[in-house]
Amino acid sequence: MRFAFFFTGIALAAVPELVSVRIVPAEAALIGKGSSQQFAVIGKLRDGTETDVTGDSAFTVSAPNVATFRENGRVFAAADGAARVQATVAGKAASAKIDVRRSTEAKPFSFARDIAEIFTRRGCTAAQCHGGVKGQAGLKLSDNAIHPKEDYRWIVEGGIFQVLTSESGGPKIPRIDNAKPEQSLLLRKASMETPHGGGKRFAKDSDDYQAILNWVRAGAPYGEAAAADAARVVKLETFPREVVGPPARKQRILVTAHFSDGHTEDYTHRVSYSAADSEIARVTASGELETQKPGETAVLVKAAGRSLRVGVGVIGPAVANYPKTVSKNFIDDEVFAKLRRFNIVPSGLTTDAEFIRRVCLDITGRIPPPARVAEFLADKDPRKRAKLIDTLLESPEYVDYWTFRISDIFRVAIFPVGINPKWTQDYSEWIRGAIERDRPYSEVASERIAAQGYSPASRHYLPYLVIPPAENMMGEQVRIFMGRRLDCAQCHDHPYEGWTQNQFWGLTAFFGPMFKLGGNPDSVIFDFPEGKEVAADVPVPTPLGVFHPRTKEKVQPALLDGTVYPFEKTEFPRRELAKWITSHPYFAEAAVNRIWSGFFGRGFVNPVDDFRSTNPPSHPELLAKLGGEFARGGYRFKNIIRLIANSRAYQLSASPEPSNAADKINFSHAWPRALDAEILLDAIADVTGVRERFSVGTNRGEWRGGKAPLGTRAVELKESDIYATAFFDAYGKPNRYSVPERDVSPKLAQALHLLAGTTYNNTLWADGSRARKLVARGASTGEIISEFYTAAFSRAPSKDESAALEKMIAAAPNREQSIQDMVWAIISSREFAENH
Amino acid sequence: MFQTQSKWTRRDYIRAGSLGFFGLHCGLHAAPAKAKSCILIWLEGGPAQMDTFDPKTNSNFRPIATNVAGIQVSELLPQLAKRMDKLALVRSMSSFGDDHPQAVHYAATGHLHNPAMQFPSLGAIVGKELGSKNAMPPYAIVPKWESGRQYEEYFRSAFLGADYDPMLIPDPSKGKFEVADMGLPKSVTPAAIDSRQAFRQVIEREYRARVESAEHAKLDTFQKKALEMLLTPSVRDAFDLSKETDRTRDSYGRDSVGQSLLLARRLVEAGTRFVTAAGYHGSSWDTHTDNDRLHRDRLTPPLDRGLSALIDDLVARGLYDETMIVVMGEFGRTPHINAGLGRDHWPKCWSLALGGGGLRTGITVGKSDERAANVVERKTSIGDLFATVYKAMGINWTAEYMTPIGRPIKIANSFEDTTGEPIRELFAG
Repeated sequence: MRFAFFFTGIALAAVPELVSVRIVPAEAALIGKGSSQQFAVIGKLRDGTETDVTGDSAFTVSAPNVATFRENGRVFAAADGAARVQATVAGKAASAKIDVRRSTEAKPFSFARDIAEIFTRRGCTAAQCHGGVKGQAGLKLSDNAIHPKEDYRWIVEGGIFQVLTSESGGPKIPRIDNAKPEQSLLLRKASMETPHGGGKRFAKDSDDYQAILNWVRAGAPYGEAAAADAARVVKLETFPREVVGPPARKQRILVTAHFSDGHTEDYTHRVSYSAADSEIARVTASGELETQKPGETAVLVKAAGRSLRVGVGVIGPAVANYPKTVSKNFIDDEVFAKLRRFNIVPSGLTTDAEFIRRVCLDITGRIPPPARVAEFLADKDPRKRAKLIDTLLESPEYVDYWTFRISDIFRVAIFPVGINPKWTQDYSEWIRGAIERDRPYSEVASERIAAQGYSPASRHYLPYLVIPPAENMMGEQVRIFMGRRLDCAQCHDHPYEGWTQNQFWGLTAFFGPMFKLGGNPDSVIFDFPEGKEVAADVPVPTPLGVFHPRTKEKVQPALLDGTVYPFEKTEFPRRELAKWITSHPYFAEAAVNRIWSGFFGRGFVNPVDDFRSTNPPSHPELLAKLGGEFARGGYRFKNIIRLIANSRAYQLSASPEPSNAADKINFSHAWPRALDAEILLDAIADVTGVRERFSVGTNRGEWRGGKAPLGTRAVELKESDIYATAFFDAYGKPNRYSVPERDVSPKLAQALHLLAGTTYNNTLWADGSRARKLVARGASTGEIISEFYTAAFSRAPSKDESAALEKMIAAAPNREQSIQDMVWAIISSREFAENH
Repeated sequence: MFQTQSKWTRRDYIRAGSLGFFGLHCGLHAAPAKAKSCILIWLEGGPAQMDTFDPKTNSNFRPIATNVAGIQVSELLPQLAKRMDKLALVRSMSSFGDDHPQAVHYAATGHLHNPAMQFPSLGAIVGKELGSKNAMPPYAIVPKWESGRQYEEYFRSAFLGADYDPMLIPDPSKGKFEVADMGLPKSVTPAAIDSRQAFRQVIEREYRARVESAEHAKLDTFQKKALEMLLTPSVRDAFDLSKETDRTRDSYGRDSVGQSLLLARRLVEAGTRFVTAAGYHGSSWDTHTDNDRLHRDRLTPPLDRGLSALIDDLVARGLYDETMIVVMGEFGRTPHINAGLGRDHWPKCWSLALGGGGLRTGITVGKSDERAANVVERKTSIGDLFATVYKAMGINWTAEYMTPIGRPIKIANSFEDTTGEPIRELFAG
């Protein structure tokens, strides 16, 4: 039956064998002149799955005078009354109820609804067209007609939108012609009577052309404010909410608009549809979706300033005898449920050797020492994995490693002209203390956001001994603690997201009163109390506060939800902001997403600080649950890490199964990930027994002659930015001058360093190296191979490997040289350089 | 990750240009591009325009005649004055950034610094558009920054990817100049390489079979390429200044500026597309105190000597027409002298020099007022400069890149979000 099921998709002409059909919606009200309703017909197949058969159905109305079908599945109101519509397909039928009311009554005119929506539907307001930041060719339309009043002005009055000022630029040329409506530029351009860079958007005989022409003829009104209000769309809703099915399956999308006065309307033919990844699914302008190949994408539905995503999952072939999965906690429930839905089988459990290497790297940033591996492998306790996780969480290495992680995000650095090492030390120790005591992350974040005076976290606000622009400070905090990048909205309303420029500057204004006092480098920062004198000799700084770049007016601090904190009444605005940020669900979700990505090599959202509606999480429910758990547990890292590390999902093997080899986003198997630069360098030192001696360059570039203490690990470097090594550069250590983003992808520089670099050559046979010591004490070749394997891979060599390597070493003209070559091969192998 | 918005590739443009294709941007590639590579002589800190390329009465140095009638430069540049026919001066540069970080970012990328975004630098864009040649890295900076490494970030490839990040080369004027990872250590003989690879094959066999990933294949390709580079004598030699005669090395000057220029010449000769020769690190030209003494004794002599030697060398080797040079800092300096006898930052009017690459030379473009304080004619932006470089190298300067978050970025970004225009006076005919 499975084959018949797929056959449907490929040979679209054939109607599959249906068990039953249903029609959606089951009832509909058609209110007002010209109203219509689109129906979808869903057939149930033998295997229990459903498929859209709207295109194959025949439609009839019980009372043809009430309504008629003019297009496939779309019925138009004719006269008041009730009727039933029936769809018939492959001998099966289903019916729905319709109720036509006020069929002669035209709706009150509204520019926003009747005109501006056309521009969205016809693609005119797309970001690469007139909806772009600066508009296109002199005409600016708001994205998705979110600001219909402004759109009206640009069309009726003319003028050119300017990014940095609210004044319109250029000559004021109206896009409509009241005297000769047909000559309106708006119509001539869109219908290509006049050359139009955007091509022909609609024909002269189209409804949309007629609607605009009639509007111009009627004097181009904006419409009654009250009518516009009543006609405001507050929410869009789709059927289905998500589409999950095999490739080559069709699905008609239905869209319902909910209005501010409570009524609903069919908006299926009034919205724009776009598929994020058309290789996975395609969608037509009228909302007919067709799946292409396995994967996940979304269809973005937009109208009237509202937008909505319909998730699309294209699943692989059904798996015979899908194995039973065992959940260790709610993480597994969610991960495995989704895998089941997508016909992806999770890989098996890691071996103990695989597990201990992975978990030690993820919790402590180190490959386990051979003794710990041996002890763990010998342990017979069935709870030994959980025990190991607890031990690691209480280890000093955990503190080192997570201090390093947070120091990266929090940007602990010495700047060329800037933070004094003394202050960096304070800042760094503050982070270390927080990790050591597992302090609530909400408290730590609040201290960083609201830092005043000489508090350790205040130092990150003074990278160059001056207070950075308020918008940069705000952007960084929101990116780190809420996982959002609002920065596009700095200069203009965000082209794809809901963020407006006003929201951006409202949030920025919380940083407006920041003020620095005292000489460098021991200056303090604080929020300057509005309208007050701090001390007789401290002049009130001007201008204090944040000014809107377009209106040039001083902006009051305001949260994204619009709550205003007036200057006069808010002594410490950043404190208020910190409270709001750390209690917002975004805060917990951004944090757990980051933690999760440390254990799986990717977050639910990637990049981890780029949450947006066009970049949705792979597992929204799990993300929300983990966020909730993080909050409930007092925002403690260890709580979340323990949950993640104990989940079976985390403990899955890196060996793929046939059904999951292509899956990269559902955590069906461990994805091998390159070790971060610092971790890899430390691991090489652990294996070779030769640790790099970190040399300190001063900020003037002179050689100070100082060296970090012997045995210092790369993760312990406080200001790693001033320790320049070819290794760090090649392996993607970011600098901390801006929010760090690591790039661990393979690079030519890595390959050059592997072959010719000091890290891979000078460590092999140096004094005190593991290889030299082993040879010196007369270890057998077998022992040497075995010890290196355990140190590097946390496993013993297989018999084959051992035999092959022993043979190669025995055959080599020079044993010592040959052993060095083997050590090189071990530390340059992917099994070593990756966490898997 | 990103895409060029223009559907036209560079090659299409060139083809279209030579065939006289109808309907193209007016004047686009009237003549085929000559420049194959570009050397940016980076004057970090910002030179005083009136004390160098735009002599004025508010300078304490005299203007001197050059070998081009009607063009004068400061007496601090006597050698360059004799080679003025090989250079063009733009005296109407205007840019943004009152302090170094912002101004360096703007000069390197053509965009205002934005903490939310990283912009590719000119060198990375040229490297990406023209690609690697003769197994040489497409983009290099010499010397690399020993400190102040946030500037380094501004000169990188941003979202274009690591392939177009500059190769960072240490100071070639230092005694123990050695380019890390560009030469195999003596102990690593061909036999050792074979032995190591053989060991790795055995060691990786099981793991690779089990978790084969696209990243592995990518790294394998890099390893092949790396080996090729390490074993190609011409690549290794490109970094080897001992191949130059003492006389040549002396002519450039044995300082960081001169030797970096010499290495830059070797690199472009070997196939590198863009070299930033940055011997003036540490914001050397930032003369807030003692402007005149520093310009006279410390700053202009290496430039005058090194750049003259570079021009002569490129001309003698027949490479000047295919090697474009750009000489600039991140801004100019104030028309007035401050209390510390220094000059402060001045982005609104400054000068730069261009040459080679088939450009028209022996000319000046634009004018500043009598104190070199304001542009009075032909205000020129960094975007115009970038467009000029692109045009000289056959790159479509109107292209935009799409960032990973979907914001289009002009590769030649001029004032108020317009696209830069190539400086037409520099393109003969």
